[in-house]
Amino acid sequence: MTPLDHLLLLSALTAVFTLAAGNIRSAGWIATLLYAAQGLALVKMWGMGYGPEVADSSISFQLLGQTMHWRFDSLSWFFALITVGAGFFSSWFASGGWADHYRAQGNSLRLFHSALALNVFSMLVLLASGDLLSLFIGWELVSWASFLIMGLASTRAMGYAMRYLTYAIAGAMAILMGIVMVHAQTGSFEFAALAAAVPGMSNGTLWLLLLLFGGGFGVKMALVPVHLWQAKAYAETPGPGAAFLGAISSRMGLFALILVIIQLVGIGRLVGMSIPYTFLDARDLLAWVAVFTMIFPTYIALRQHDARRLLAWHGVGQTGYMLLGVVIMDDLGSAGGLMHVFNYATYQAMLFMSVSAIMYRTGTADLNQLGGLVTRMPLTFIAMLVGIIGLAGLPPMNGFVSKWLIYRSLVAEGMPLLFVGAVIGTLGTILSVYKLIHNSFLGQLRLEHAKVEEAPWSMTLPMLSLAAIVFLTGYFPGVVLDWISALQASVGLPVLAHHLGGVHFAQGGLDMIWINSLLIAGIAIGALIFYSTGRSQRVHQLDNYAGGHFLSADVRYQYSDNFYPGLLHLIGPWYRKSFRWAESALVSLTDALSLAMQGLYRQVQPSIYLLITVVIALSWVNIR
Amino acid sequence: MDMGTLMFAGALGLMLIGTAALVLSGHLMRMVFGLALLESGASLLLVLTGYRSGASAPIILDGVVPASMVDPVPQALVLTAIVIALGVQALALGLVLRVHRAYGTFEMREIRRRMERDICDQAGLELPSSNEVPEPYPGSPKPQQGEY
Amino acid sequence: MNNLILLVVLPLITAFLLPVIDRFSTLAARWSGPLVLLITTFIGASAWLQLGTGAVSLELGGFRPPLGIVLYVDQLALLFAIAVSFGTLLLWPYGNRGGLRQQTLTLLLAGSGSGLALSGDLFNIYVFYELVAVVSYGLAVSLRTPAAFAAAIRYLIISGFGAALSLAGIALIYDATGTLNLAQLAQLAPEKLNDLQGLSAFVLLLIGIGVKAELFPVNTWVPEIYATAPKRVSALLAGLVSKLAVVVILRLLVLIFPQPEAHTLLLVLGILGVLTGELAAWRARDLPRVLAYSSIGQLGIVFIAFSVPGEAGVFAGLAMALHHLLIKPALFLLAERWDGSLAGLTGAAKASPLGAALFVLFSLSLLGIPPLPGFWAKLLVLTSLAQMGAALYYTGAVVIMLGMVLEANYLFRIIARMYQKAPSTGTPPGHGRLDLAISSMLGAGLIAAVFLLAPLADRLQGIAAQTVDVNQYIEAVNPVPTRNPI
Repeated sequence: MTPLDHLLLLSALTAVFTLAAGNIRSAGWIATLLYAAQGLALVKMWGMGYGPEVADSSISFQLLGQTMHWRFDSLSWFFALITVGAGFFSSWFASGGWADHYRAQGNSLRLFHSALALNVFSMLVLLASGDLLSLFIGWELVSWASFLIMGLASTRAMGYAMRYLTYAIAGAMAILMGIVMVHAQTGSFEFAALAAAVPGMSNGTLWLLLLLFGGGFGVKMALVPVHLWQAKAYAETPGPGAAFLGAISSRMGLFALILVIIQLVGIGRLVGMSIPYTFLDARDLLAWVAVFTMIFPTYIALRQHDARRLLAWHGVGQTGYMLLGVVIMDDLGSAGGLMHVFNYATYQAMLFMSVSAIMYRTGTADLNQLGGLVTRMPLTFIAMLVGIIGLAGLPPMNGFVSKWLIYRSLVAEGMPLLFVGAVIGTLGTILSVYKLIHNSFLGQLRLEHAKVEEAPWSMTLPMLSLAAIVFLTGYFPGVVLDWISALQASVGLPVLAHHLGGVHFAQGGLDMIWINSLLIAGIAIGALIFYSTGRSQRVHQLDNYAGGHFLSADVRYQYSDNFYPGLLHLIGPWYRKSFRWAESALVSLTDALSLAMQGLYRQVQPSIYLLITVVIALSWVNIR
Repeated sequence: MDMGTLMFAGALGLMLIGTAALVLSGHLMRMVFGLALLESGASLLLVLTGYRSGASAPIILDGVVPASMVDPVPQALVLTAIVIALGVQALALGLVLRVHRAYGTFEMREIRRRMERDICDQAGLELPSSNEVPEPYPGSPKPQQGEY
Repeated sequence: MNNLILLVVLPLITAFLLPVIDRFSTLAARWSGPLVLLITTFIGASAWLQLGTGAVSLELGGFRPPLGIVLYVDQLALLFAIAVSFGTLLLWPYGNRGGLRQQTLTLLLAGSGSGLALSGDLFNIYVFYELVAVVSYGLAVSLRTPAAFAAAIRYLIISGFGAALSLAGIALIYDATGTLNLAQLAQLAPEKLNDLQGLSAFVLLLIGIGVKAELFPVNTWVPEIYATAPKRVSALLAGLVSKLAVVVILRLLVLIFPQPEAHTLLLVLGILGVLTGELAAWRARDLPRVLAYSSIGQLGIVFIAFSVPGEAGVFAGLAMALHHLLIKPALFLLAERWDGSLAGLTGAAKASPLGAALFVLFSLSLLGIPPLPGFWAKLLVLTSLAQMGAALYYTGAVVIMLGMVLEANYLFRIIARMYQKAPSTGTPPGHGRLDLAISSMLGAGLIAAVFLLAPLADRLQGIAAQTVDVNQYIEAVNPVPTRNPI
């Protein structure tokens, strides 16, 4: 039994345990321990994090002359680390107080925990795929596990989950078509066969494969234009479930994309495939899809007033960063994109957890009903603050590193338009998360929330641990960059030369240890000055006046709707809900066709069909 | 034109008449009769495949084999086919009687409409109709399919 | 092996003797049917073990083919004969539902179905086909509602039209070759049936037999009959009878008409069947008709699979057909109590948790979700289509995938509704114990197939290879060479 088998077995055991005993009080704690055990099993394979090694599984299936086998390499190990980590933290969050609250609302805890465990298991199976067929099997398992966890909360959640399912199956069919075409060309489902056949394939075939695989994997990643399903579906998933999904679920698409398109087809070939009648090539297409995914959903997030929807739309946009980094092809950019996967997992988990904590204590996630919670829930505030600083890409958090790497490589590779697009995306990111923190924690505390307590330790500890991870990996980004360079080596991308504090090359470098230390020293000096002089005075929030009147607690002074009126006045007219129109047009077309077909079957004289068919067939046979 | 070709034309003609009755008429009894004609035509066609011009019946008399006989195999086949057709027509008539007793009409259009209505009623559904069918006045019952 | 004729004779005799037995003892009458079917299943199973991978031809009455009728027993025929016996045993009207008439008709179906599966002579196939048709008309009116009678007469008309046309097709074949024995036709087909007359005969036969096989466009009877007949009968029709018709078409295609035009015709009709079936199911409003349209779609996929020439196509088509044979009857049994509108199914999972779970299992397999057998069957179809490389075959693959997207949506819309909380107006009914037991057994069979996938796949590939082997067929039957026409 290889270490990979141990990991998969532990994961299956977690799923079985939660299915059998998920309803008992301590189920969440035991599940968390099991996820920790999975993490340990993963750590035992640490060689893959520091060099391009491969760990095989002893499980393999022989069917009709095709063998399916499973293995881990550095790419899988990196994503598996994030998956198990996200599962661990989500399960920790879901134990204790949140579990009681969830059950008190009449939901089944067993269903939730088993859905979470099944998600982790199916993702590990996907990550371990060793050939195209096992990739597809893992892909389907992941899609259905996600469907399960998205749909179990309420009828409305199930409605959004159904929408996801239609997109997901359409994407899976595109992938299956691509796999079947590859099989027709090469006669086998093995990765090596595809890699060997690519140089011989014509550009037309490769374009078709790119569109099929890219479209299929893009549905999971929620790239534009198939991005409509993700936000509402993730928003309606129960709290820790949303944290888990937002952290890692759509990255499975990125994993598969890197595996198939970058590792097997190769960026070099992509650059050679040009779009007819333009100067663009396939890599530009991917890069621009990434940039549009960054821009559109992030600015939709600006307009949301439900905190969970805001975060979910936000999450749709961040995938664009990761994809952009990865398709730039050089060492800096791909490292930046991949590090963003890790960083963003930590932020999204942390942010969704803090919003869940707020929902747990106040009962609402509507930004119009919240405000001023910083005094009541300081630890949650710290967690959200760390997340936001990281998302904005400011030091001392790790987001700064990944964003810097991406920007640097975009400029170095000579892609100024993409750089501008990325910056616009970052602007939208900062604006949307600032709206989130302002309207939930800052500002005016509402009367009904005056007695709200801090979230229980079972909720704050995971958030603070994630915040600590964010801070530490921001201080020592080399820890994550080690794993990423091993990944780059195994996938065939150029490897990033780095050290514990960051990167260093001739034109300059990034040393986070120095930057963070300077920053902290500066803040320390400032704090020293601030607190030692004693000139500051504590003033009650409402001891103030506006417009010549004193403030009173029952009047509402902050709103979340139309939070950025100037900006929305400028860009508002551009949002015509075109993608939603396209989606509903497609649904209407299917409805109309369906009714037409039913009318076909409601024929009064079906014999006429028979006659017409015989006549047509006989005449066709005659003419042949 | 010799006998064989004439008979072939007759068989095809029978099938054509039967098909026309089956497809073009909306009256249930006529459709069943058309089916009967169709099956007769097909049986005739099958028998005719055994025809040999100038041959005699396939009977061996006193050990004397005729010089040329028509093929006896299709005759045996057609016997079975005719019996099958007979059974199916009897069953069809029984069903037509039942339908008439239940719905009071022989018109296929009307029968189909009522069948659809009965299926929908049994399942608790509404009749399929267009969203654009207008209501004569608010609160009036929706017009039946086929009416205005 | 010679007692395989009992598969046809025993149910027929028992069917006609049932009223007599009933005079003496109702208990004996109630159980003689299942007993007979059990015996025939055992005979079939022991013949299967004896057969191995060979093929045997039974000459009835000792008369040599081509004038004598033969029963051709190879793995495909025997498999479906056993399926007929076992299927009618499972879907028997237990508990004396519908009385003696139902039991008689079911026994007749078992006998004529076995005959249809085993027959090796074209006219014999026609006779058994008509037998099955008449029995199905009788079974379809079991509930004796006006709508059932109307649906049955409409079914009869289109089926009779098709039968008459197939008789004309048989006439064309006899005219060209002078024989109706399948083996001899296989021998003579390359020279005598490779022309216009042969292809016309194929067209007539295909569309005639295609009525039972739910071929587009002669499948308008499907939603009407499946909605008005008892669901057990719909299970029999959708599961067994349609597969028998498909097997007959397969035999014709492989043995007598291997021309590319025949394959193309099958492909086009299959594509249209999938499209219309899945699209019509999208907006269907009651469960029996959803299953009916879905059945049309699935059989369209089977036809698309058979349109790929060679062993690969037959293998894929057989896998899909057998999978459908397992799943559709189970789904129809679950729809027995759930035959109201879809809106009335809200909260059905509470009323019958096992039933809802089984429905989910069967839907997943119908869709083709790994690791269930439905996925492997669909994968086989898609890979064989992609290997053809022609545009029409790629269209078939795309249409199948489109159908899967639609299926996923409408099936899981129903399932989502089932798992919602029941409305205050009333919960949907639960399931009868017998229906649930049989569906559970079929579900267990499905899960067992997941674990036994490799040996099952190898065996099925062997069956497909044997089916495509025309020479083995001719040698096994060994017909007397045609004498000069008189």
